[in-house]
Amino acid sequence: MAEEPLQEQEGRIPASAVPDVHEAHEIGSGMTKKEAMHIRMQHMDKAEIAALRRRQLAEKVWPVFRFLILFGLGFVILTPLLFMISYGFRSRADMSDPTIIWIPRHPTLEIMKQTVSAMGLTKSSNNPLLNTLLLNIGCSLCQVASCAVTGYGFARFRFRGRELLFGIVILMILVPTQIISIPLYVTFRYFLFGSVNLIDNPLVMYLPAMTANGIRAGLMIFIFRQFFRGLPKELEDAAYLDGCGPFRTFLKVMIPNAGSSFLTVFLFSIVWYWNDYYVAGSFFSNRKTISMVLKNLDATLNVAIFNNANANVSVREKIIWLEAGCLISITPLLILYACLQKHFTEGIERSGLVG
Amino acid sequence: MKIPYERRKSLYGYGFISVWLIGTVLWFLKPLAESLCYCFMDNRRLKPDSGGMQKVWLPLSDWQWLGNFKNAFTADREFRQALVSVLRDTALTTPMILIFSLFIAVILNQKFKGRGFARAIFFLPVIIATGPVYNIISGNIAMTGADSGAQFSTLFETDMVDKLLGFLGVMNISDSLSTVINTVTTNIFGLVWSSGIQILIFLAALQNIPPSAKEAAAMEGATAWEYFWKITLPYVSPMILANFIYTVIDSFTKTDNAVMLRVLTIQQKDMSYAYAAAMSWSYFLIVMAVVGIITLIISKYVFYEVD
Repeated sequence: MAEEPLQEQEGRIPASAVPDVHEAHEIGSGMTKKEAMHIRMQHMDKAEIAALRRRQLAEKVWPVFRFLILFGLGFVILTPLLFMISYGFRSRADMSDPTIIWIPRHPTLEIMKQTVSAMGLTKSSNNPLLNTLLLNIGCSLCQVASCAVTGYGFARFRFRGRELLFGIVILMILVPTQIISIPLYVTFRYFLFGSVNLIDNPLVMYLPAMTANGIRAGLMIFIFRQFFRGLPKELEDAAYLDGCGPFRTFLKVMIPNAGSSFLTVFLFSIVWYWNDYYVAGSFFSNRKTISMVLKNLDATLNVAIFNNANANVSVREKIIWLEAGCLISITPLLILYACLQKHFTEGIERSGLVG
Repeated sequence: MKIPYERRKSLYGYGFISVWLIGTVLWFLKPLAESLCYCFMDNRRLKPDSGGMQKVWLPLSDWQWLGNFKNAFTADREFRQALVSVLRDTALTTPMILIFSLFIAVILNQKFKGRGFARAIFFLPVIIATGPVYNIISGNIAMTGADSGAQFSTLFETDMVDKLLGFLGVMNISDSLSTVINTVTTNIFGLVWSSGIQILIFLAALQNIPPSAKEAAAMEGATAWEYFWKITLPYVSPMILANFIYTVIDSFTKTDNAVMLRVLTIQQKDMSYAYAAAMSWSYFLIVMAVVGIITLIISKYVFYEVD
């Protein structure tokens, strides 16, 4: 017991003794990289030296170019977000002042407060934020679960008609929602042979999500199928040999291995549901979601702030409320993105979309 | 009674997809078939209040057969214009998006300080660009109710090419050519904002290039230029096809493109569901035909590594 720490101490090399070596040829020669290069260059002919010089120059210049390109394009991407912040916190008078572009002269929280209340985010009942969150998280969970099960079925089992059925999945990716939205409306309006009216009921979103037919479900099934096909078969064979049924194998063996893929698809699902206004707008009239509110913000503003449905406020002034509304509605997504950025960007590689 | 193993496994397969199968019949195939039927029906009979929407099978005398399609392609000028403009825009922007996203992916695949941050910014549009937020920031406020918002676009726009041409003294290039140039260059923002997913897919493909290929190229003394054409491009080519299909489908099914807007107006303002269905189906079929033909062409040049 007492010897263990001693052994560890002996085995360790003190950090100061490790030479600062980056490449193999530096070891033992005692030369710096520059000196070694100098000696090597003495044995080269002119053309070789010229080629080397050119490469060195390119290696020095390219990072500068790369920085300029990335910085410029990054700026292009961030411009609207910066404008949102700049517009959202300025007062109405600042919009008529041509000298103000970025930094407001009269910074104020007033516009934000007005927009929040105009969007109905302070209401206690039928609050758009609450509606959206409930729909979002619930539907995404249902959809990830159902799509994973379906994707696994397509990936690992052979059955008659599999190609044909998978063709339907591809068709789900290709057919725009607009084509089926009207018949779908009729289906929900006269649900169960006309006995139930499901319009404005959250079930219109939950039912398709539970049966792997929600927003962009085809794509999610496709991703899961690709992912499960990429996992080694030995995993399941071991489980089968131990007498595990396919459903239990899926639960106990496959799902634990698919954690990061699940998270990626779940995050994308959250984003798609959050941004969707078409599907929600087709089936909801009283129940509002954030996206629907933002879509109609212009009309809402007329009533809520200017007290007149036909108020003729110039767009130049109205834009500050609109931008404030944008800022409010994307903030949750931005926070989500900032925290889980790695899973958004690196998850896709592992989720098997490629390959 | 013992069911053979293979048979049992295939039954389990049906079990796994059964939930989706039920859902897809109810929420996808049935509406799809119904909307296909709508196409051939009489607008006047297919009204929400008359109960005509409930039963799909109107008596055959109420069917209009190809009347709606004829209407869309001969009488409806707006629809034809929208169709042409969407097809033209997609044809122009898709190659730009593909080239641009491949370029950015190659850059973002290099090692440099702050790479994680740069990647985070370039994928940012993916989470915002699909919603109504995009309409507001692109100044397309007409979508949200008010008119003439285009001048308040907060997007980064530039007419550098116009300025350059003016500087060079090229003034009178033909109108159609300058429209083309404008579509492509003015909207740098649209280009950057619609390439998020494509960059992601290309980046993943670039990281799948086997190290052996890189080493071989380095041993043979390939320059960066040669490396790109001989190694990068062939390895990435399957993903070029995937990205092409994704880009085209994405731009065709966007709720804010001209054809979709036209269909929505017909649906919501005129309540002519049959006509709207006919329009969206013919649009869909045209898109599928275009995608199919180009996919066939591209797939001839795609390189698949055989293990």
